[in-house]
Amino acid sequence: MAEINLNCKGLQCPGPIMQIFKATKEAQAGDVINVKVTDRGFAKDIQAWCKKTGNELLDLNETDTEITAKILKK
Amino acid sequence: MSKKRFIKLYRGENRMAEKIVVIGGVAAGTKTAAKIKRENSKAEVVIITKDAHISYAGCGLPYYIGGVIEEERELVVKTPEDFKLVTGIDVFTKHEAVKINKEEKNVEVKDLTTEEMKIFPYDKLILATGATPFVPPIEGKNLSGVFSVRTVSDALKIREMVDNGAVKKAVVVGGGFIGLEVAENLHERGIGVALVELIDHILPPFDEEVALYAQNYMCEEGINIYTREKVLSLVGDEKVKKVVTDKREIEADLVIMSVGVRPNINIAKEIGVEIGVTGAIAVNEHMETNIKDIYAVGDCAEHVNLVTGKPAWYPMGSTANKMGRVAGINIGSEGKDTLKGVLGTTVVKLFKLNAAKTGLSERDAKKAGFEVETALVPANDKAHYYPGYREIITKLIVDKNTHRVLGAQVVGEGVVDKPIDIIATAITFDAKVEDLEKLDLAYAPPFSMAMSSTIVAASVLTNKLTGRVKGIGPIALKNRLSELQIVDTRDEGSFMIGTIPGAINIPSGEIYMRADELDKEKETVLVCKLGKNAYLAYIKLKELGFEDIKILDGGMNAYPFERE
Repeated sequence: MAEINLNCKGLQCPGPIMQIFKATKEAQAGDVINVKVTDRGFAKDIQAWCKKTGNELLDLNETDTEITAKILKK
Repeated sequence: MSKKRFIKLYRGENRMAEKIVVIGGVAAGTKTAAKIKRENSKAEVVIITKDAHISYAGCGLPYYIGGVIEEERELVVKTPEDFKLVTGIDVFTKHEAVKINKEEKNVEVKDLTTEEMKIFPYDKLILATGATPFVPPIEGKNLSGVFSVRTVSDALKIREMVDNGAVKKAVVVGGGFIGLEVAENLHERGIGVALVELIDHILPPFDEEVALYAQNYMCEEGINIYTREKVLSLVGDEKVKKVVTDKREIEADLVIMSVGVRPNINIAKEIGVEIGVTGAIAVNEHMETNIKDIYAVGDCAEHVNLVTGKPAWYPMGSTANKMGRVAGINIGSEGKDTLKGVLGTTVVKLFKLNAAKTGLSERDAKKAGFEVETALVPANDKAHYYPGYREIITKLIVDKNTHRVLGAQVVGEGVVDKPIDIIATAITFDAKVEDLEKLDLAYAPPFSMAMSSTIVAASVLTNKLTGRVKGIGPIALKNRLSELQIVDTRDEGSFMIGTIPGAINIPSGEIYMRADELDKEKETVLVCKLGKNAYLAYIKLKELGFEDIKILDGGMNAYPFERE
């Protein structure tokens, strides 16, 4: 199982979701994608996106300056 | 003096000194009194107020209820004793001005503690009688547990109930600033809060799409908001138990009535002081009423809106203090200082969201007869690569014919007071949108974008005014969803999460190749996250001969309605 690290800080439009979408397409089931983001809308977006796509959101952490998420490709 | 019931005639210390009586002792009253005394130390100035407190931070009351401000004394800027010591002004708290005798030039005052009547002669009289919360005449309004939030005493009682654990559920009636701030503060104390608002949205002075953005935010924070709902009665025996609206019943141990305030004008009206069209006391730019030697300042007095030049009423501490200073200078040193008017500039914090407004809303501008153009533009308060930046959405309203800036609203988690103050300043100096666009504003990544949010908004508006792009606002779009061809130009992943109902997805990079999927004859709306991608797609479609196209103002980020 591979771990893929994405730095999406500073990305807004197109935003981090596009990068994650690409990365999960290329990843194998069971791979984990770690992503760092500064776009505040991301926290809501990633939850909705995982629900829609069936990938699992293992972790979501928000600080004042950064949001990190861990996604398991299903 | 024929009436024998007056036992006391207040003469002050020096019978020869000029006598100034100020009725009201919160912001405008104390400001006026203090300024007069600074201008003319020989004048004998007295303040008469019904309240037990003077010079208190009325705007801080919601935060006292929430415990953000811990102690009562932090709210009170000055005690009457301190005030006397510092300024030399005599303050009569718990004294009610009952009647003005304009011929004799005195005020009849009742000492609320002793019931004693006193007479205060004046050479100059200042009315700073403030405003009172309006409580609709509904059944149950006098039940225990029903409050307005206007005075320190109100806040003390509410805080006590909350501290004692007597409140599990609260209902706030009215979605203006005070109501929203109290709702937030009660929620932060672990109380379940519902808010009922009569009109279509909270923040009544704001335009609907901006207000709905804030409303969605408040809902996500856990406040239950019911709009277009009228409170019919409050029910309970002795203590309030529930609120009955035209649509539901809501349980409540505490009800906050915050539907608005009305100017206190009775004492003035009785003696023929002119009341303006807004219902507040009419004053000229020197704060003089129509009666010689009688002035009015603060929430009881009317203002002029600088944009329309017409009377308006903005009961706000910022304006009250300015009026007080002007009156103080004119009375204390016979100056001719003026306050030409105000813009109703205001700002509020709702949880982590900030919302600010200046000048006219789009709705008010249209009502005032302006033909307007608007822009709704999401941007950031700092450089997008600088950690901790937050989004702010600017709505800018200009006169379509003269390009003069008429008003603005800024909402978001980021810094909103800076942009609103920039725009307020611009409006004050009659700026056109082109002036705003070219302002030289401070920039470094931790403070702003290289093109600040205000400049970007002005640029978008200029694009619209010059016909470079056509836009459609979120409300207009929502009302016409079924008639329009809507194209979401974002990436597939973003589209999947949620889009405008009925939209199809063609990412802006593919628009050339896939334009044949669209009906060229049909009115088309291009949508993206912020507006930029849609603008790029707009230019491409124009090249391909599409004519009837628009972009969604503010993009998905400012779209406050349901997504699919």
